[in-house]
Amino acid sequence: MKRSIVFPVMIALILCVTPLLIAAAKVGEAAPDFTATASNGKTVKLSDNLGKYVVLEWHNNGCPYVGKQYNSGNMQRLQKQWTARGVVWLTILSSAQGKQGYVTASEENDYMTKMHATPTAALLDPTGEIGHLYDAKTSPQMVVINPQGIVIYDGAIDNKPTTDLNDVPGATNYVSLALEQAMAGKKVETPATRPYGCSVKYAN
Amino acid sequence: MSKRDSRRNFSAAFTLLLAFVLCGARAEASGVPIPHGTIEIVAQNESIQPGRDFNLALYFQLEKGWHIYWANPGDSGEPPRVEWKMPKGITAEEIEWPTPHRLGSSTIVDYGYEDAVTLIVPMRTETNLAARQSAQIVGQVKVLVCREMCIPGKAQVSLTLSIKAQTAAPDSKTEGLFSAARKSLPQHAPQSWKFNVDDTKSSFVLTGNLGHQTTRAIFFPLNESQIDNAAPQDVTPTPGGFRLTLRKSHQLLKPITRLKGVLVLADDQAYWIDVPVSKAGAPRNNSGMNLQPQHFVEEDKAT
Repeated sequence: MKRSIVFPVMIALILCVTPLLIAAAKVGEAAPDFTATASNGKTVKLSDNLGKYVVLEWHNNGCPYVGKQYNSGNMQRLQKQWTARGVVWLTILSSAQGKQGYVTASEENDYMTKMHATPTAALLDPTGEIGHLYDAKTSPQMVVINPQGIVIYDGAIDNKPTTDLNDVPGATNYVSLALEQAMAGKKVETPATRPYGCSVKYAN
Repeated sequence: MSKRDSRRNFSAAFTLLLAFVLCGARAEASGVPIPHGTIEIVAQNESIQPGRDFNLALYFQLEKGWHIYWANPGDSGEPPRVEWKMPKGITAEEIEWPTPHRLGSSTIVDYGYEDAVTLIVPMRTETNLAARQSAQIVGQVKVLVCREMCIPGKAQVSLTLSIKAQTAAPDSKTEGLFSAARKSLPQHAPQSWKFNVDDTKSSFVLTGNLGHQTTRAIFFPLNESQIDNAAPQDVTPTPGGFRLTLRKSHQLLKPITRLKGVLVLADDQAYWIDVPVSKAGAPRNNSGMNLQPQHFVEEDKAT
């Protein structure tokens, strides 16, 4: 009798604790699930997007490396191009309140309108919970998740770790490369790189 | 305290503040401005002797709290880059990087320099330079300066040196700067020291046999995405040296053959090491260790 109670309790405890024990996202492993509030007020749960490719884009509007991608229009082009092909594109804002890149929902909506940015959603992560879950170090760090929920790319947006707008046209874009190769049923050639950029402005 | 006293104190404080601001402004006026700092180009010698190598240096001064980056910037940022313009017959070598510092928080760690740093750039010359009287050397510098936030800067620095057939005399004005900069460079590790690196599942274990016990060891990897920069480096003293556990980077998916970088020991003594990596449990090979010149090239960065 006693044992029949202890066993389910143990299982329940293990289930409770497991998500906390999952280490940061790693290529080839399951993408850790999260739920977040988007700037449009909707709730987004990563695992609701199983069956689709998902791109995570770490964002900070004051970071010059992010500025390079947005002022050149490159990030917006990528968002448009890939969401048109059914990819779920989630911009993630992990700057803590008071730090560079922290925005309210309406500030983020204004920014996206002004910049003509069209991600599927922009997720507000001022506690840094999602950022830490993925061990995001920089903006613009990029993660690509396949329809099975496995991380297939983690790292830089491209192979030019600079703030120079002139470096955008000739760059190899690792996100597009990973998506193209995976969608064609090929192996992702470059599944991980150093995610160059500005450090994510987490709370201290 | 009377009203008058407090007014007097206030004006004294104001004078001090004003002096501080003015002096600060004066100290910064000597170089070309970059975001939150200045950069200056200096030469070690007063002239250039054709066919003889010489040294230039870029001297960065930064406002308190701001930093620039090492050859491997760590988790974020990028190292300063220089594009040189100078007469044919002079070529610039790679920057000689001083020992970096760990900068950042518990989750994001960068490698770089705060306050001030001198980057020595060795220059080579050809004998056909003798036809010229002087050489203007221009460096176009791109540098990322960060504190909480990062600001990219560009600066052009230049100097003109005369070309003389006789041995170039050291410039007494820059002697101190160059000798201090030399002291900040990592040294060659003594030949008698033996290192090896074991590749375990999640870490690289660097073992150093120096002939004496060591309680302090910090490793700075030259190549990106090999170790987890922010992970604590766990040092275990051994009778002959130390054992240092370096957690692997998430971005490292393939085995590496060598671990190169700067090892900092007690009293901030720093050494270049380049150690072959062996699978844990495999026979060790100490003989393969190379002592590297102080200026590594960045050719095998995994960007």
